[in-house]
Amino acid sequence: MTNKTDNNQSPIDIIRQNQRLEERVNFIKAIFLDIFFVFYSILLLQRAIYYKFILDLRDIPFSWEGIIILFVISVFIGASWTFTKTSLSCKLFGIAKDNKVTKWSVEISGWFLFNITFIAGWIITKLSIVDLFSSEGIKGAERLFGALFKPEFGIFDDALFAMIETIYIALLATLISIPITLFISFFTARNLMKGNKTTFIIYYVLRLILNFVRSIEPLIWAIIFSVWVGIGPFAGMIALLVHTIASNAKLYSEAIESIEQGPVEAISATGANKIQVVWYAVVPQIILPFLSFTIYRWDINVRMATIIGLVGGGGIGTMLMQYQGLAMWHEVGLIVLMIAIVVWVMDYISAKIREAIY
Amino acid sequence: MILKVKNLHKIYKNGMHALKGLNIEVQKGEFLVIIGLSGSGKSTLLRCINRLIEPTAGTVEFMGKDITHVKGEELRKVKAQIGMIFQHFNLINRHSVLKNVISGKLGQLKTLNSILGNFTDDIYEEAYRNLEIVGIKEKAKERADTLSGGEQQRVAIARSLMQNPKLLLADEPVASLDPATSNSVMKFFEKVNKEFGTTVICNLHFLSLVRKYATRVIALKSGEIIYEGEPSEIDEKWFKTIYGEEAEEVEIR
Ligand SMILES: Nc1ncnc2c1ncn2[C@@H]1O[C@H](COP(=O)(O)OP(=O)(O)O)[C@@H](O)[C@H]1O
Ligand SMILES: [Mg+2]
Repeated sequence: MTNKTDNNQSPIDIIRQNQRLEERVNFIKAIFLDIFFVFYSILLLQRAIYYKFILDLRDIPFSWEGIIILFVISVFIGASWTFTKTSLSCKLFGIAKDNKVTKWSVEISGWFLFNITFIAGWIITKLSIVDLFSSEGIKGAERLFGALFKPEFGIFDDALFAMIETIYIALLATLISIPITLFISFFTARNLMKGNKTTFIIYYVLRLILNFVRSIEPLIWAIIFSVWVGIGPFAGMIALLVHTIASNAKLYSEAIESIEQGPVEAISATGANKIQVVWYAVVPQIILPFLSFTIYRWDINVRMATIIGLVGGGGIGTMLMQYQGLAMWHEVGLIVLMIAIVVWVMDYISAKIREAIY
Repeated sequence: MILKVKNLHKIYKNGMHALKGLNIEVQKGEFLVIIGLSGSGKSTLLRCINRLIEPTAGTVEFMGKDITHVKGEELRKVKAQIGMIFQHFNLINRHSVLKNVISGKLGQLKTLNSILGNFTDDIYEEAYRNLEIVGIKEKAKERADTLSGGEQQRVAIARSLMQNPKLLLADEPVASLDPATSNSVMKFFEKVNKEFGTTVICNLHFLSLVRKYATRVIALKSGEIIYEGEPSEIDEKWFKTIYGEEAEEVEIR
């Protein structure tokens, strides 16, 4: 009888080796994070607080050389900070020395990062608050609100038709997304795919693509597709479809990842293959969350479809854009009122349905 | 000999050394009980045997064949011959009792048929027969999560009987049941062991149950075997060694 594993290293060695490796990896992570902290602080101090607040410059000077110099300085300071093993990141990754210096270093730097972030945010937004209260702006807003409260019912039929178009765009995008998302979500669930290298690579690449697609707003997708397939409801539907698939695939796979492992183990232990395990142990656990997400998404899509219309995705949004361009505020008022009612009703219905399933 | 475990080590990813070179031999027809405190490695051992997790070192031989490194189809064939019962039953809650029992047969069914729910009459008959063995034939059509704990565990036993297992592993099968129910569930393991000659390896906590059902006992402590022998030989002194000085025996019958 041959025994392949007898001449392996002893288990104790494996444990020690793993520990050393983990510490080294954490140290490298800590260096990067410390450099980032320092670079971030210096940038904020220079650009937001010094240039914008203290010197009050309108045009802030920018040069890549300047940034690079700052970065090199940060690398130097950040790395030295990590090497003392008293830095904020060392603490975060659990490799810091346990002494007074660490405590001070962590507390002061944490407090400092929080405060400059807050101050910089305040400096940056204050400028826009000033613009908001200019007298010209307020007068425009008054005119608009006045008209909105006296809607023009002459265009009711057209608006209703456009509204129905919007609802169907949303409905179709949601329906078509279901089978596609279902299929994809099994390949983007970590617990199903981490088994071997090939499946893990598929998982990783798919996740990357989905994250990318999701990070682009439906509005942008609508612009892209209206160039691709021409302005109109079709472009809007495809844009919503793409974004729905990417968002729901994430939600679906999270539902798959959070299922109880017990039944999965029990079914695997009977000698069932992967597909049987998914069908018998995974699917029954995820049907309800899937339904619920999908209904909620239909509700979101109705709202999105309205917005997408603004850039030529068809439906009520496109109509709104036309009347707004002509400054016909009473017509705009009717459309806005209609959108508000429909969104509210959809919201209510979808909440009721989701309650009923659970 | 049905099972031979040689120098088995398991080290988890976090560095936990859960099994430290176990050597165990199990004869056909035995009712082997494994005892030990929580965290002593009982579950890890059972999971290494049917390869729910991968052993770090050592070998597992099942029916004379080294199964430590088998993969894919071959591994599934091995799993199909080893039944497993869990503490928390691990039934599919939304499925009927009958469907849960039938799922024990998955390892021997074609993928497409099992997904479409095309089961032959033989399979239905077998499922009802196994439900009859554990005495809950009349609940076949009910949803699994409407059953009591003891009933759910009996469904789980029926499910593993569908595999016609050569070896039945049970990981604290009665730990979440009340004493009376525990005893009645244990009786079904005894029945399977005596009537079908199925070898049973069972993790247990209560010594009174161990004395009643085990033909042999192994005690684990921190991943090592510290006792092996007849259940009747476990006296006060051994009890304290296994469970610690503070421990006191509780009776359940
Ligand atoms: N998946 C896991 N990852 C890391 N450590 C684990 C894992 N499962 C169990 N352990 C550890 O291994 C040891 C043995 O656990 P286990 O076999 O579950 O013991 P028992 O079943 O006897 O209570 C425990 O210390 C436990 O914390
Ligand atoms: Mg356990």
